[in-house]
Amino acid sequence: MIWYRALGVRCLLLLCLLAVGCARPDNRLVDYNYDVRPILADHCFACHGPDPESREAELSLHTQEGLYAPLRDDSARHIIVPGNPGASELVRRITHSDPQERMPPLEAPHALSQFEIETLTRWVDQGAQWKPHWSHIAPQLPGLPDVSRKSWPRNGIDHFVLARLDEERLNPSPEASRRTLIRRLYLDLTGLPPTVDEVRAFEKDKREDAYERLVDRLLESPHYGERMAQHWLDLARYADTNGYSIDGGRHMWLWRDWVIQAFNANMPFDEFVIEQMAGDLLPDATDTQRIATGFHRNHMITHEGGTIPEENLVNYVADRVKTSSEIFLGLTFACAQCHDHKYDPITQRDYYRFFAFFNSVPERGLDGDGGVNAVPTLEAVTPLSTQEEIAQVRSQLDSLRMLQQSPHPAEAVWQERERTQLETRGKNLQLHPLQSVKVTTPNSGFTGNTLPDGAVEIDQPAWLAAYNVLYSVPNDLSGTVSGLRLVFYPDSHSGELGHGSGPLQGSFAVTSVHIQAGMQPADQVDYHNAIGMERVTASRYHADYPPESILDDRRHAGWSPGIQRARPSHLTITFASPIDASEVSYLTVMVNFGMGQSLVARRWKAFALTGHDDGSTYSMDVERALTGESIDEQLLRDTFYQRASEAAPIRQAIANLEERLTVLTQAHPTMVMATADSTRPTHILYRGQYDQPLTPVSPGVPNWLPELPEATGRLELARWLMDPTHPLTGRVTVNRFWQLLFGRGLVSTPADFGARGALPSHPELLDWLTVEFAENGFDTKALLKTIVMSATYRQSSHTSDDLKLRDPENRLLARGPRFRLQAEFIRDQALAVSGLLVKRLGGPSVNPYQPPGLWKEVSHYGSTPATAQTFVQDSGEKLYRRSLYTYWKRTAPPPGMMIFDSPTREVCTVTRELTNTPLQALVLLNDPQYVEASRAFASLLLNEVPESERILFAYEAITGRVPDREDVERLQTRLTEEMREFAEDPRRAEALLNVGASPVSADHDQVEQAAWLIVANVLFNLSETITRS
Amino acid sequence: MNPLCDYERTITRRTFLGQSARGIGRMGLASLLFPGFMRAPSGPHFAPKARRIIYLFQSGGPSHVDLFDYKPMQRQLHATELPDSVRGGQRLTGMTARQASFPVVAPHWPMRQCGVHKTWISDLLPHTQSIADEICIVKSMMTEAINHDPAITFINTGSQQIGHASLGAWLSYGLGSENENLPAYVVLLSQGSGKNPGQPIFARLWGSGYLPSSHQGVLLRPGVNPVLYLKDPPGITRDQRRRMLNDVAAMNRKEAEQVGDPEILARIEAYEMAYRMQSAVPDLTDFSDEPDEVFDLYGPQSRRPGSYAANCLLARRLVERGVRFVQLFHRGWDQHIALFQQLPAQCLDVDQASAALVKDLKRRGLLEETLVVWGGEFGRTVYSQGELGHPSSGRDHHGRCFTLWMAGGGIRPGFEYGKTDEFSYNIVENPVHIRDLNATLLHQLGIDHNRLTVKFRGLDHKLTGVEEAHVVRGILA
Repeated sequence: MIWYRALGVRCLLLLCLLAVGCARPDNRLVDYNYDVRPILADHCFACHGPDPESREAELSLHTQEGLYAPLRDDSARHIIVPGNPGASELVRRITHSDPQERMPPLEAPHALSQFEIETLTRWVDQGAQWKPHWSHIAPQLPGLPDVSRKSWPRNGIDHFVLARLDEERLNPSPEASRRTLIRRLYLDLTGLPPTVDEVRAFEKDKREDAYERLVDRLLESPHYGERMAQHWLDLARYADTNGYSIDGGRHMWLWRDWVIQAFNANMPFDEFVIEQMAGDLLPDATDTQRIATGFHRNHMITHEGGTIPEENLVNYVADRVKTSSEIFLGLTFACAQCHDHKYDPITQRDYYRFFAFFNSVPERGLDGDGGVNAVPTLEAVTPLSTQEEIAQVRSQLDSLRMLQQSPHPAEAVWQERERTQLETRGKNLQLHPLQSVKVTTPNSGFTGNTLPDGAVEIDQPAWLAAYNVLYSVPNDLSGTVSGLRLVFYPDSHSGELGHGSGPLQGSFAVTSVHIQAGMQPADQVDYHNAIGMERVTASRYHADYPPESILDDRRHAGWSPGIQRARPSHLTITFASPIDASEVSYLTVMVNFGMGQSLVARRWKAFALTGHDDGSTYSMDVERALTGESIDEQLLRDTFYQRASEAAPIRQAIANLEERLTVLTQAHPTMVMATADSTRPTHILYRGQYDQPLTPVSPGVPNWLPELPEATGRLELARWLMDPTHPLTGRVTVNRFWQLLFGRGLVSTPADFGARGALPSHPELLDWLTVEFAENGFDTKALLKTIVMSATYRQSSHTSDDLKLRDPENRLLARGPRFRLQAEFIRDQALAVSGLLVKRLGGPSVNPYQPPGLWKEVSHYGSTPATAQTFVQDSGEKLYRRSLYTYWKRTAPPPGMMIFDSPTREVCTVTRELTNTPLQALVLLNDPQYVEASRAFASLLLNEVPESERILFAYEAITGRVPDREDVERLQTRLTEEMREFAEDPRRAEALLNVGASPVSADHDQVEQAAWLIVANVLFNLSETITRS
Repeated sequence: MNPLCDYERTITRRTFLGQSARGIGRMGLASLLFPGFMRAPSGPHFAPKARRIIYLFQSGGPSHVDLFDYKPMQRQLHATELPDSVRGGQRLTGMTARQASFPVVAPHWPMRQCGVHKTWISDLLPHTQSIADEICIVKSMMTEAINHDPAITFINTGSQQIGHASLGAWLSYGLGSENENLPAYVVLLSQGSGKNPGQPIFARLWGSGYLPSSHQGVLLRPGVNPVLYLKDPPGITRDQRRRMLNDVAAMNRKEAEQVGDPEILARIEAYEMAYRMQSAVPDLTDFSDEPDEVFDLYGPQSRRPGSYAANCLLARRLVERGVRFVQLFHRGWDQHIALFQQLPAQCLDVDQASAALVKDLKRRGLLEETLVVWGGEFGRTVYSQGELGHPSSGRDHHGRCFTLWMAGGGIRPGFEYGKTDEFSYNIVENPVHIRDLNATLLHQLGIDHNRLTVKFRGLDHKLTGVEEAHVVRGILA
């Protein structure tokens, strides 16, 4: 490891240069790995590197032999003559005055700088010593270097960091305050902020090992596993949809649960990788081990008609190669799919040998439609299920069901409201026939006809049928239009209402209706301008197909009148707000039929409604009970709990708990790896084309990597990857964990440890950590503990002007890391601080708030059996789960996350950019999620904190810091002013408080709550709130 | 990675507030929204012909056979079998690969020779016919992709593989914004009347790939929140918002002084721009200052927010305000079935407004510096998908040739480029790969496509990818 010593010196040289700008190199030794190879890789390898196809003049500058070789046309001369720049062809060509002779050629993207030319020249002058690429040599445990301040280091890490700082004559920064440290640790290790009590207790804890106790406690927190899984999801390109164009839903959350469980149980990292790569091949593989293999089924899958199965299969396997090589080997294999790698020694043959490991899965080229997982699959119970939670959920369910038997304070209000509703039923009702102008349907040559009497007639139904009907509104219509009625008639020939077969023989089912009104004709409904619907009634309905089910856009439920030969049936929709008839010339109505069958109506007409709907959402029995015609308290109570909006929270809670119980006790589907009985042969593919196979290859790894003795399959590959002596996997892993805690890795290109990747800032530290990690049995928690226990990690992140200039990116680690929180942590923090967070672990993904229409505007809604084409917001506790459980639709990912730099998860992502944009400000200020969190936090302050301490508490809870007097005064002023403003117009306070689905606290004055909401929202928007310092 | 270069980039990024940019256009707060402006790796490489692009993307693959690439001889060839020699063992999509017969279908609608150049344009596009002398029709566009997802990803991001940056993101990165209050790259979506829903589209088409996510296209939608989360929550007044932002700014500034992190200063500016966007965007989307004559020009649908026509008008308002790249995606051009019924409806959606946009830009003196592009991800087969003449028949995807038109921005007007065989099936003259198109678009904006690169995972990525790409000199004015 002698070269490593030299390497350290070279870093020093470079950093000195950096510190003073681009100074001329002096006489210090030029290092091949640090100084020379990067120049050659950037400027020369593209034409004189590993790819023979693009190699010019048979010149290979990437190998030792190539560099010292004689010239092709003059064997007396050499590319490089060590110690003699004048005789070296390389030097002659890079300094040549004739542009025809000079290298790189004029058309190259970048010319060599003077500094680069001098570096190469001096390297030749100094003897041109070549070295193998640093990351290709197995790491060995380096000794700890001597340092100036013996008292500073707390562990090995600090020796390496301080030794470098000593060379730079820099001092480390002082330790950060207790408050900063606890928030830093909480966010880094759990992704959640500490509570005010925890901060205060830690600040007071004078025990010697207070910090270590905190670290140990956090590593044992169940939220540690969630935090680590969050990171792993990006690498593993986890999503809840299949991607590509139709992007239908899939079920992979069991795999996510497995990851959380594995981190929480501190599964050794080698096992963690082996089970994910090849858990199915382990002896007596358990269900849990097979769930783990979903890792390599997370890639995108398509069932788009017209795509070619063989081509899709190549894409799936290529994705497994890309992901495995980037996250385990830190190499970009993907380039070699079409040609030999231009910079790293990876041939196309190497690529397809690696490809062969993943090419034996019994999968289909087109699969995954209709919300059904693509094969191979497994059904299993989540590894996160605990008897304790099952018992708890059961008891919660019992008490909620009991609650439904007891009186509710809102029953009387509800009854009164419904009675009034019944009294106005049918009042002033007038039906205004609409003239059908045009009817269209997607994906079908069979459209309906518009008839002179205004009706639409469908003679040949489609399987997936969304009919868009354009209606003109009669000129004489005046007043306000309160709703729309669709009347369905039996067909004169068949006497049947619809084309259906099966249980609904001769009938139809409507799954959803969308309506748009305007002065201009529109052939289809613009989802952003669709009219809101308040209630839906029907003249009759089949018990399994009630009218209100059309309010859910998805196609799994719908309204049907049942089999009613020769009798018309109608559906009436009352708008959320009536529309002015003078502003409507046209209505466009999209009616979705079918539920996956040809349950399409034969003939219908539409009517605009003025006055009140004469339909009822209640049965005759309930109506009689409501109006007092009969006495039936039990019926009224049952109906209240089933239907009243006041009882919605209880209904939602029960539904959510029932689902949770299913999750904890029953098997659910997930995709897994398996091995086909007859394996597909793997060939090198000409230019990566699926239909142009060349030579067949067997599984294997590049020959410059450690030998893989028995290259039989995925299991051997996985074990080979995690061999403690592997030069890449360990370093790449340790580097990524470092990146998690410091914002950037010791190697700043965590997915590229190759010739064009960054060089490690602290090579010996990286190797020390890597070797220790392997020797500790790949104990992840121990590794993280070592890092966070170091003095390096504990430094203050304050940046002096001097440091800002000398080391703006903090590569020397002379201060603590400081960076913006990632998208998920920003939302989770707001939920946690405000008390809204529901801390359940695992389970299916959830749909919290997002603006309407975002899926439908891009999806295949109405034209595919695939799921996840229309967004339906969840309710109750599912709105407040941690963000790693948010449903991830690849073609339209959650916007609040994307704006804060989340990847789409279409492919593996190793590093997220951290941007700083106005759209982020708009999210934190206006997204209902944050307005609701501000409101919930305001009510928590009013409920639990004495008035005199509220501002202090609020500031501490959100930032972890104690505000100074100026800040307190500023927030106090804000509070007073906003109270005054809202008091002048309390309706504004009410409107603001009503944002979000959670109930508004009735215990406090609305004006006061709204003013505190403003204060909380100011705090949620502070830069320090979304920064981990 | 060369640490020196790395360092230079860092310095440029970190201290941009105090340094001058190498790019054209105005610097200032725009750089905060779109930092690429500041660290334009090589900025414009030569004097640009155009300052901005409006890309009228027709998603799904419009039928070049029916609309532009007409061969009168096809009337005689109608219903005859497409010779095998023409198909030449080409791979077909799974939709028609198993079809027993491939009968030629001549365009169903009359074609007309228009303008000085006597270029053929379908009667389905009467308004486009009227601008024949303004546009350059490229009949020899080609792509290797034959299915929507790879094809539309290819033309928009330069690669069939997923994960690359879109054209608009590259422009934002390379040139930045000219407006302090609006994004550099705006995307507008509309649904097609012919086929609804059309083929799905996806965020990656306007995504930033390996570029910072601030370069991704910002969607403007019809309705109360044209930009997501733009509107203040109910009950909050503008004054109140201003006071809140003043507090946030004051506290952030104090923090910046204490901890010395320049990101905090950038965030203060980002909040100010957010505040200004809240009035700039509604001002942009409020058409009440447009006279009736303008709506007449763009057609009645331009009064309906969210329609293609309204988006065309909005595109003009965006470029007037200095937005660099406006991209419309109009869905529904995937006429596998019922082409006779669907195609006229699709044409009606876009014809008048597309032509109006060109006319409107011209009379306002904006066309010279605005490059308008009209086209989709591929064309359609001359042969019938489904039984010949059946109402449910249509045409399959065709990547070997398709037609696209451009106007303004230094492109030769009243011109036709490239030629296909009598079946409008294979290119016989001047092929233009979609890479070449992208190279040409960048070129018109002053960018050498070979030099606008970004290093990611060890490779210098560029919009035109690893294969050679050429600027199509033949269509330049």
